Amino acid sequence: MSGPETDALHAQLTAFVGQQAEPDRVSRYAVNEAMIRNWVEAHEDENPIYVDAGAAAATGRASVICPPAMASTWVMSGLKRYREVQRLRAEGVQEDFAYSRMLALLDEHGYTSVVATDLEQSYLREMVPGDRIRCEFTIEAVSPFKQTGLGHGCWITLLKRYVNQHDELLVEERFKLLRFDPTQKKAVAS
Amino acid sequence: MSDFPAYDVGTVLPTLEIPLDRTTIVATAIASQDFEDVHHDPGKAQGRGTPDIFMSINSTNGFIDRYVTDWAGPNGQIRKVSLRLGVPNFPGDVMTMTGEVVAVRQAEAPGGADEVEIKVVGRNSQGPHVTATVVVAPYRREGAAR
Repeated sequence: MSGPETDALHAQLTAFVGQQAEPDRVSRYAVNEAMIRNWVEAHEDENPIYVDAGAAAATGRASVICPPAMASTWVMSGLKRYREVQRLRAEGVQEDFAYSRMLALLDEHGYTSVVATDLEQSYLREMVPGDRIRCEFTIEAVSPFKQTGLGHGCWITLLKRYVNQHDELLVEERFKLLRFDPTQKKAVAS
Repeated sequence: MSDFPAYDVGTVLPTLEIPLDRTTIVATAIASQDFEDVHHDPGKAQGRGTPDIFMSINSTNGFIDRYVTDWAGPNGQIRKVSLRLGVPNFPGDVMTMTGEVVAVRQAEAPGGADEVEIKVVGRNSQGPHVTATVVVAPYRREGAAR
């Protein structure tokens, strides 16, 4: 894709900056010990405060806690919804959310592949079983297009704020992903 | 005060080797409810321009938690993680994690906790997979994580 064409696309994408990406994601279930145990077993993480109430109490905590990196797990949509989204995308059906409109625009121009590149999370409050988590998504930034080792593409930064049922801020996250066209893969390193 | 390791600037964390077996890559992705095909389906991953499935960013983040609390112990409280991914973690490789205390911020208030900043790098055979800065503090019940 040529320079002026990507400049025009970049301008269209920039219009989404500052918008709510999609409706708040609300956890399908409360933070719970079963999901935590599956996570720590997969990571072979032996920190006892995630699974052993006595060990957590010995540190002064009121209960076991959720591993910090699990924040996003609680607001994932689940396999059923994931398949629905994939089907809609394959059929070219576009949901009327800023983020889906933005991704559809990228799809139309061949930028169909995605890879996460940067993640920043500040943990303001420990997540514990029983918490009902909601996440607010904002499109924070879109970079200009450039050629990368994976293909031609641009970075999107999402700001995510995870809150509990009392609207207390638990985690603030910046998630940066590269959306690229794998067919525009020149011999370039960057 | 509960147990927490000495954390002078320059303190080196023990190295940890994570064998990147296919099951680990898939199990960690699914444990996080991430069903993107690049984390479990080799054919579809190839169709998207990568040679094989690769570890998800959230799984990498989970291994950073593990690496830091393996050192800090149950009294450690992770307050912030900033990570950047480099080369992907593909099955069959090994990620070697290293870390070093690069800064210590004194507690602002009496009864507060010092914050220890650690630089963590996870390398596989192709180069750095992840470079991260992690802030960890001894857990304090009152005013924890504020």
